[in-house]
Amino acid sequence: MQRSHSSGAHLARLGFAEPGRSAGLLAERVLTELIGEAGADDLAEPLSRGADPDLAVLGLIRLVEATQAHPEARAGLADLLRSDDKRRHRLLVTLGGSRALVDHLATHPEHWRAAADATPPTAADLRSAMTDAIRAHYRSAPAIPSGMPSRSYPPAYDVLRVEYRRQLLRIAALDLATPDPVTHLPVAAEALAQLAEATLEAALLIAREEFGPGHQDCRLAIIGMGKTGGGELNYISDVDVIFVVEPADGVTEERAVEVGTVLAAATMKACGSSTAEGTLWPVDAALRPEGKQGPLVRTIASHKAYYERWAKTWEFQALLKAWVSAGDLELGKAYKETLKPLIWGAAGRDNFVEDVQAMRRRVEQHVPAAEAARQLKLGPGGLRDVEFSVQLLQLVHGRTDESLRSATTLEALHALARGGYVARDDAATLDRAYRLLRTLEHRIQLYRLRRTHLMPTEPDALRILGRALGLDGDPAAAVVAAWQSQAREVRRIHERLFYRPLLAAAARLSSAETSLSPEQARARFAALGFRDPAGAMRHVEALTFGVSRRAAIQRTLLPVMLGWFADEADPDAGLLAFRRVSDELGTIHWYLKMLRDEGSAAERLAHVLGRSRYAAELLIRAPESVAMFGEPDGLVPRTEAALTQTFRSAAGRRDTPKRAMASVGALRRQEILRVTLADLLGEIDVTQVGRALSDIAAATIAAALDIAGAAVTSAQGGAVVDMLVVGMGSLGGAELGYGSDADVIIVHRPHAGIAEDVAQRQAIAIVQELVRLVAATGPDPLVLDIDLRPEGKNGPLSRSLTSYAAYYDRWALTWEFQALLRARPIAGDAEVATAYLALIDPLRWRHGGLTATQLREVRTMKARVEAERLPRGADPRTHLKLGRGGLTDIEWTVQALQLQHADKHPELRTPNTVAGLGAAAQLGFVTAEQAETLLAAWTQAARLRNAVLLWKGRPGDAVPGDVREADGVGRIVGREPGTGATLTEAYLRQARRGRAVVDTVFYGHE
Amino acid sequence: MDRQQEFVLRTIEERDIRFVRLWFTDVVGALKSVAIAPAELEGAFAEGIGFDGSAIEGFARVYEADMLAKPDPATFQVLPWRGENPGTARMFCDLLTPDGQPSFADSRHVLRRALAKAADLGFTFYTHPEIEFFLLRPQQGKRVKPVPVDHAGYFDHVPHGTAHDFRRAAITLLENMGISVEYSHHEGAPGQNEIDLRYADALSTADNIMTFRTVVKEVALEQGVQASFMPKPFGQFPGSGMHTHLSLFEGDTNAFHEAGAPYQLSRTGRQFIAGLLRHGAEITAVTNQWVNSYKRLWGGGEAPAYLTWGHNNRSAMIRVPMYKPDKGNSTRVEVRSIDSACNPYLAFAVLLAAGLKGIEEGYELPPEAEDDVWSLTDSERRAMGISPLPSSLGRALEIMERSELVAETLGEHVFDFFLRNKRAEWREYRQEITQFELDRYLTQL
Repeated sequence: MQRSHSSGAHLARLGFAEPGRSAGLLAERVLTELIGEAGADDLAEPLSRGADPDLAVLGLIRLVEATQAHPEARAGLADLLRSDDKRRHRLLVTLGGSRALVDHLATHPEHWRAAADATPPTAADLRSAMTDAIRAHYRSAPAIPSGMPSRSYPPAYDVLRVEYRRQLLRIAALDLATPDPVTHLPVAAEALAQLAEATLEAALLIAREEFGPGHQDCRLAIIGMGKTGGGELNYISDVDVIFVVEPADGVTEERAVEVGTVLAAATMKACGSSTAEGTLWPVDAALRPEGKQGPLVRTIASHKAYYERWAKTWEFQALLKAWVSAGDLELGKAYKETLKPLIWGAAGRDNFVEDVQAMRRRVEQHVPAAEAARQLKLGPGGLRDVEFSVQLLQLVHGRTDESLRSATTLEALHALARGGYVARDDAATLDRAYRLLRTLEHRIQLYRLRRTHLMPTEPDALRILGRALGLDGDPAAAVVAAWQSQAREVRRIHERLFYRPLLAAAARLSSAETSLSPEQARARFAALGFRDPAGAMRHVEALTFGVSRRAAIQRTLLPVMLGWFADEADPDAGLLAFRRVSDELGTIHWYLKMLRDEGSAAERLAHVLGRSRYAAELLIRAPESVAMFGEPDGLVPRTEAALTQTFRSAAGRRDTPKRAMASVGALRRQEILRVTLADLLGEIDVTQVGRALSDIAAATIAAALDIAGAAVTSAQGGAVVDMLVVGMGSLGGAELGYGSDADVIIVHRPHAGIAEDVAQRQAIAIVQELVRLVAATGPDPLVLDIDLRPEGKNGPLSRSLTSYAAYYDRWALTWEFQALLRARPIAGDAEVATAYLALIDPLRWRHGGLTATQLREVRTMKARVEAERLPRGADPRTHLKLGRGGLTDIEWTVQALQLQHADKHPELRTPNTVAGLGAAAQLGFVTAEQAETLLAAWTQAARLRNAVLLWKGRPGDAVPGDVREADGVGRIVGREPGTGATLTEAYLRQARRGRAVVDTVFYGHE
Repeated sequence: MDRQQEFVLRTIEERDIRFVRLWFTDVVGALKSVAIAPAELEGAFAEGIGFDGSAIEGFARVYEADMLAKPDPATFQVLPWRGENPGTARMFCDLLTPDGQPSFADSRHVLRRALAKAADLGFTFYTHPEIEFFLLRPQQGKRVKPVPVDHAGYFDHVPHGTAHDFRRAAITLLENMGISVEYSHHEGAPGQNEIDLRYADALSTADNIMTFRTVVKEVALEQGVQASFMPKPFGQFPGSGMHTHLSLFEGDTNAFHEAGAPYQLSRTGRQFIAGLLRHGAEITAVTNQWVNSYKRLWGGGEAPAYLTWGHNNRSAMIRVPMYKPDKGNSTRVEVRSIDSACNPYLAFAVLLAAGLKGIEEGYELPPEAEDDVWSLTDSERRAMGISPLPSSLGRALEIMERSELVAETLGEHVFDFFLRNKRAEWREYRQEITQFELDRYLTQL
C-alpha cells in the first residue's frame, strides 16, 4: 500500500517521535473501516497538534476499537473525525495530552463527547452533573442502609468516579485545546477546584444515602481548605477539608456530632477508596482543630473555642483559604463569619513572628537533595514559597485592609499590588512566573494523573512537556529554559514581596508604586523578625534617602540585604551595623560597587553583620576593611612572616613610637577582622583560627619589641642586651582565642663584657616600654600577661639566660616545668632563642619523665585549680575553660603525657594541644577512641568560647543559658537555627565524655 | 489535648472545685504540689504557672531558677479524700523553662523523651506494677523500731484486720480516681500488703504510682496507721519491691509475643530482656535509689540480686511469666529488682532504654537460669556467667556514672544531679554508726 501522505517521513516532519509506528497505526483497519484510508491520512496533521502525537494516534485507535462494541459510542465519531473543526481538535489534543485519560476513554468510549463537546463549566454545571449522576443511580438502585451488600464498597462509588472523569475530560479538553495554556491556567485551576467541590457534594449525598434514616439529624458543611478552598486546584492533589456540623431542629448536639462523624468519614471514603474504577484523591481533614488527634467534625462554637484558645499561627494561615465547598451552605457561611475576626487578628498574637520564622524555615527546608534541582513546589522559590509569602503579607496587612482577603493566590497577589503593598511590576513578574510553574505542574500531572511536583529529566518527557506548552523549535530545550528563567524570578520573591515595598515606604519615594503607610511598614518589619521596627525604618530611611548615586544603589541593594539580615538571629543588630559601615564608607566609590557587583560580597557582609557583634564592631572601627570581601584571597589568614613584615614596615614609616604603634594596632585589628570573617563564613576551622590569632599576636609583639628596643637603646646611648619574648600558654601553643591574653616571659642576654646588672636595667626598661606600647595600640588592645615569669609578680620583668638557669636549677616547681611545655619563642633575638630552648628542653622533656611524687604533684595541682580558680558563681559544668570537660582538662591531660614520655618520644614535643594529642594517640598513650573524645571536647569548648565572644562582642566563659543567646552562638558553631534550648545539653554530653577520659588518663582512675 | 482542657474547665465549674493542685515530681521521686484557684487554670494551660525551681531538689541552678508548671489535662482528677464540697482536684504538670521549652530537670519529660524514642521505633510501652508496702503502728520520734499492724502472712485473711479495711478503703479511693486495681492481698511479711495496678502506658502508670503512694499514705492517716514504702524496714522479713511487668506493643499487637516460640517470646522480647540484663547494673542506681534498697536486694529470700532471667524462677531478676496460650497480647516481662520507693518516671525511662538498646543492637539473650541463684556457690555463678547487681548504693553509683545509656536517657542535667544527690546520701550513710557495729564491737573490742 502506497500512501505518500502518511508516510514515516511526513509524520516525522509533523513532530511524531516514532513516525514508523504511528504510520502503521494510522493504517490500522479499525480506523480505515470507520473513516476510510483517506480520512485516516488526513488525520495525521490534526493529530500532530497535541503534546504527544504518537500517543494521540495510539489513543485514537484504542478509542475506535473500544467503540466497536458500543454502537451508541460509535455514533457521530466518524463524522467528527472527518470534520475539521474545534470539536475534533479538542478530542485529538486530549488524546495526545494524557495517557491516563486515553485509558479512561478506552473503557468508557462514549465519553469522547465530553471532550469534543466541552463547554466551559460553571460551578453549578459541575455540581448538578455530579449530584444528578448519583441521584439517578439511587433511583435505579436504592442503597441498602447500614448492612453492607456483598461487595466491599457501594456501587455508587463507581458512579462517582466515572462521572468525575467525564467532567475531568471536559476540563482537560478545554485546557489542552487552548492556544495559551499559561493564560488559561487560573481558569483550569478554578474548574478543577469546582469539580472537587461538586464531587464532595455528590460524595456527601452517597454518605447520607448509605446512612439511611436519621441522617437529617445533622446539618453538615464541608469547608474546602488549601488549594481547593483557594479555587486553584491541581489535576491531582489531596483535597483538604474541614467539616462543620450543627444539630437539625429538635436534635441534640451529641446526636448531630455522632451522625456528622459518620457522614464525614463516609464522604472521605467515597472519594478516597479504591474501587474497580480506581480512586479519585484522598480527602485530607488533617487541617482541622487538633489535627488527626481531634474529632472529625465540630460545631461552630467548638471551632471558635478552639481557635480562640489553642490554635497556632499556622492554623490561622491555613484558614485564609477556607471556602464553603459543599453541604449546608448557610452553615458554612455562618462558620466563616464566626472565624473571620480570629483569622485577621492572628498577626497580633504573641509568638506570631517566631512562628512565622519557623514556618518559613519549614517551607524552605526538607527538599530531598536529589530532587532539589527539579522541584517545582518545595524549596526556596518554589510554588509553596510563593503561596506562603503571599499569605504572610495577607495576614500582616489584611488585618486592616479587607480588600486583601482573597483565598486565591493570584487574586491576593493582584490585590496586594492594587493596594500598593507590592509594586505592580513585581506582582506582574511573579504572576507570570507562578502561572508558568503551575502550568508545568499541571501538564506533568495530567499526562499520567499522578501526583508529582518534579520536572522530568528524560528527553522524551521534556519534549512532550515543551509541546504541551506550545513551544516550537526544540521544545525540550525551550521548556527547560522557560522554567529556569521563571524559577530565577521566583527565587527573588522575598526581595520583591517583602522588602522592596518596605524600602519605598522608608525612603518615601514619591515615584514608587507601593504606598505602605509607616504603620504598615512597621507591622511588616515586625513580622519579618525585626524587634525594633521603628529603628529599622530609620536605618533604611537614612541609607536610602535622597537622590545621590549612593542612595540609588542602596535602594537596589537593601531589599536583598534586609532578607539576609532577617535570616540571622539578630536582624536589628545586622541592619544597624550595616548602616554604620555604610555611613562611614558611603561616599567611597568602591564600596557600593563591590556590594553591587562582587557576587557574594553583599550576602557575606550581611551574614557576618547579623551574626557577630564582634565582627560588626571591628568593621565599624575600620570600615575600609570591607574591601576584604571583594578580594580573592581576602579571607585567607596571612602567614606570620608576612604579618611581621607588614607590621614592621608600617611601623618603620612612622617617626614616633606612639604613631608607629598606632599603625601596628590598626593593622592588627584588620588582620583579626580577616580571621573573624573567615571563621564566621566557615572558611577556616578552630585550629586555624587559633594559629592565625597567635600569629597576629606574635607579629604585634615583634613589632612592638622593635620599637621599644629602638626607643630605649637610643635614649640610653646604645644596646647592651639582646631580647627574646617567649610565648606561653595558648599563645605558645598557637591556640589563642579571640580576646585571649597573650602569656609571655621575657629573656635577655647581656652583650659581651656587659655587667649583669647593667644589662638587666636596660632589659627591664625595654620590657616596660614594650608593655606600654602594646597596651597603647588603640581600642581593644592585645593584653600582655607576664605573670607566668619566675616568682610571678614579685620576680623581675626580665631575666638573663644565666639567671633563668640558676632559677630553674634551684627553685622551679613541677608546675613551672609543665608550663614550659608550651614555651615557644615568638619575637626577638634568634640566638637567644636557641640558647633559651637549649636551657629548657632538658627541663620540660626531662630524662626519665616524672617521678611518682611529681606526677602526684601535677594531679593535685590540677584538682586544686578546679576547686579554686573557678570564678565565684560560675557553674563548674558549663565553664568552658576551667569546667569539667573544658579546655584545661584536656590540655593538662596532654601535658601530663608529655611530661612523662616526651624524653623518649620526640613526637610528643609540641606546644600545641591538638598536635600533642595526636602524637599521644599515635604512640598508644591514649586509645584512638579516647583521643577522639578528648579532641571533640576540646574542639567544642574552644569553638564555643570563640563563638560567645563573636556573638556578644565581649568574652564569656560559660555556655550561654539564655535561649536567644544560645541560638545566636549555636548558629556560629554550625547548629540549626532555633535550637538554642538544646545547646547546653549537647555541650554537657560532650564534656562529660571528655571528663571521663580525663579521669582515666590524667587522674589514673580505674 | 484541647478537648481535654475544655473538659477540665467545664468539670471544675460543674463540680464546684475550689482548688486545683498542680503536682509534679522532683528528681528523687518526691511529690510536689502547688495549689491554684480555678480562675488561674486557663492561664496555666496556655502558659503554665511560674515558680521558683531553685527550691526544688534537682531542678535548677539559682540563676535560672524560674520555671513553669504546665498542667497535663489528661491527668485531671478530683481528689476524693477531700470528699465534701468545695472539692479539690489535681493534675500532673510538665515543667517548662521560661522560654516554653521542656525543662531538662523534669522527670516526666525524661520519660516522655524515652517514650518518644520508643515511638520512633514503632513501639508503645506498657507497665503493670505490683506495689508492696508496710502498714505500721504509728510512732513518733527518732530511733524507734517499726511495729507491723498485724502478724499475718501471704494471702492471709485477717478477721477484722486493719489491713483488710485499709486495702478496701485505699482501693475504693483509687478506683474513684480512675486508677484501676488489678488485685490486692496480704503479702508475706507481717503488716505487708500488695496492691497491683492495672497495666497502662508507662506515663499513666508512673503518674498512677505517684498518686497511689499519696492515696495510701492518706488512707493510713485516716485509719490511724502508718504506711511505708521503705524497701527493707525489717531485717527478718522480706522487703517491699515493685515487681513490674513490661510489654511493648506495635499498634495493637504485642511485640513480645510469638506463637510457638519458647515461652511465646518473640525475638524482640528476647532482645529486650538481653538489654535489661546487659545494662541492668548501670540502671540499678535509678531503679533502687536508696541506701536501704540494697538491704532488700541482698537480703536473701526471693530478692533478685543477680542479673539473670528465668521462666518460673523466683530468684531471677527477670521472670517471663506463664500465660494461657490464647492470650498472645499478655506476653510480658517481669522485672523484680525495682522497689516501691523509686522515682517511677526515671525508673521506667531507664528500663525502657535498656530494653530498646537490646533491640536496636540485636543483643543475644543468655541462657535461662533454672536453678535458685541463691543456692549456687560463687564459683558456680561465675562459671555460669551470672553477675551480681551492685552490692550497695555506692557501687551502683560508680557503675551508673560510666553509663552512656543512663546519661542519654536521663539527660545530662538529671544525670548529673542524681549522681551528686545520691553520692551525698551515700556519704552521710557511711558516717553512720549502725546498731550492728555497736552490738558487735562495743563490748568485744
